[in-house]
Amino acid sequence: MEKKRFFRILGRASRQQVSALAAPYKEKQRITVIKEPAKSLAMIRMREPVKESLFYLGEVIVCEASVLLGQTKGTAVTMGDDFEKVLDMAVLDAAVNAGIFQEEDALLILEAAQTAETEKENALYLNTMVSFTAMDAEEA
Amino acid sequence: MGYVAVSGGQEAIEASIRLLDHCRAGGGQELELSAVQQKLGLLIDRVMGEAGLYAPDYAALVLKQCEGCVEEAVFLLRAYRSTLPRNYYTQTADTDDMRIIRRISAAFKDIQGGQILGATYDYTHRLIHFDLKNEDPMELLRRVREELECQEPQPPKACPRVSDTLKKEGLIDTYEPDDSEPFDVTEQMLEFPAPRSARLQTLARADTGFLGGLAYSVLRGFGAIHPTVGELRTGYVELLVDYPFGEGESIWIGEILITEVECFSEADGEKEMKLADGYGVVFGRNENKAIAMSVVDRELDLPGDFPARDEEFVLMHGDSLEMNGFISHLKLPHYVTFQSKLDAVRKTRKKPQASGEAEHGADEESQGGCNEE
Repeated sequence: MEKKRFFRILGRASRQQVSALAAPYKEKQRITVIKEPAKSLAMIRMREPVKESLFYLGEVIVCEASVLLGQTKGTAVTMGDDFEKVLDMAVLDAAVNAGIFQEEDALLILEAAQTAETEKENALYLNTMVSFTAMDAEEA
Repeated sequence: MGYVAVSGGQEAIEASIRLLDHCRAGGGQELELSAVQQKLGLLIDRVMGEAGLYAPDYAALVLKQCEGCVEEAVFLLRAYRSTLPRNYYTQTADTDDMRIIRRISAAFKDIQGGQILGATYDYTHRLIHFDLKNEDPMELLRRVREELECQEPQPPKACPRVSDTLKKEGLIDTYEPDDSEPFDVTEQMLEFPAPRSARLQTLARADTGFLGGLAYSVLRGFGAIHPTVGELRTGYVELLVDYPFGEGESIWIGEILITEVECFSEADGEKEMKLADGYGVVFGRNENKAIAMSVVDRELDLPGDFPARDEEFVLMHGDSLEMNGFISHLKLPHYVTFQSKLDAVRKTRKKPQASGEAEHGADEESQGGCNEE
């Protein structure tokens, strides 16, 4: 699973769900925190559609952490300030990098639930799709 | 202007700060942060946008701290952000793939992907709902959750931009992607003429009222355009940063809600008329600000003496923190400078003893006043 997808599932999961996934590795593996959870800023880079140039929209607060699982590094960055969650995400990343991650099925179940939630929410918005009828003839 | 420090008043100042708690105490009701964040979302959006910092929970906290004062909340968020390191720049956020929750066009009734009204007050009767005085919040939550659960899942689809169609027809100018590193107004002093990136960043974090007033001036005749909103889209955009331990890999750090607007207006081409495009983008659902930004963005490209075309005027006077800070300082002690002004005025009221002496005295006094200022 690519990292983008991996972190999307974890990022959208609750702290408790991430904690449950990380628990076996924290119990059985030697975890060394090499970067304590801390807050940081991420500047948002965007491209505007008029001149196709880049600009900065603003910043977002994130928290980050890095760990060693045995000799393998893992890291995580996520929006907000949930230090416990970001540390657990880093542990899971290290587990993936070490080749010992065995919770892929659990991740896929989480992802399916997240997708269903998003799609139901999307259906609510699509209920407001509108088809206006012009009352006067429009010029071509 | 000369500044003179004043001393004293410590006890009164401390008592004044304590008195703020009396203003916040109310009748003892709890103001839960989650309620502020989730039920006053448009206020949160405005504060985050003007602070230039996307942090909904912190925006709720500072609004609680300052009794809902927008400029004070912006000040607190800006001050806090200045204490944090900036360890990341996101990859270029792709708004073409935005997960759309609202999308309308005032230019075309039929657009590819459809018009989605989303949640809007546009078509509501502006009547007070007095029944909300006794609303049961749990019943409201139960009702909206039930409605959500009943939905048939629909995968989100990306929608092409309305302007893309007009670009394909050659009615709007097209440009090659420009990957020049953007100007950052939080780290560099603005110089004029300002690069486009500095303009957009400054406008995106400008005071909502200032931008609205400027755009209104354009529409009322202090400008040339009465643009049409070609597309207004609100939705969630994913943010990614580079993964440090693997080339080509990314970390998904979250998603933000933004509103984008493109407004169209007529423009002179080399041989024939064409359409010009103005762009606005803001955090959250602050869509009037996004529209105003798109109007001002277009207006700034035009020559002329209207306020909204004066780049320095527009970009230097719309920052909430700077404008409110400067206006706010007027109420702080100015005893010496005002005494100087007062002396100068009083002396002009003295009866001249001789015409020559009076003229000489007036010269000295006005000069003295200038020195003190």
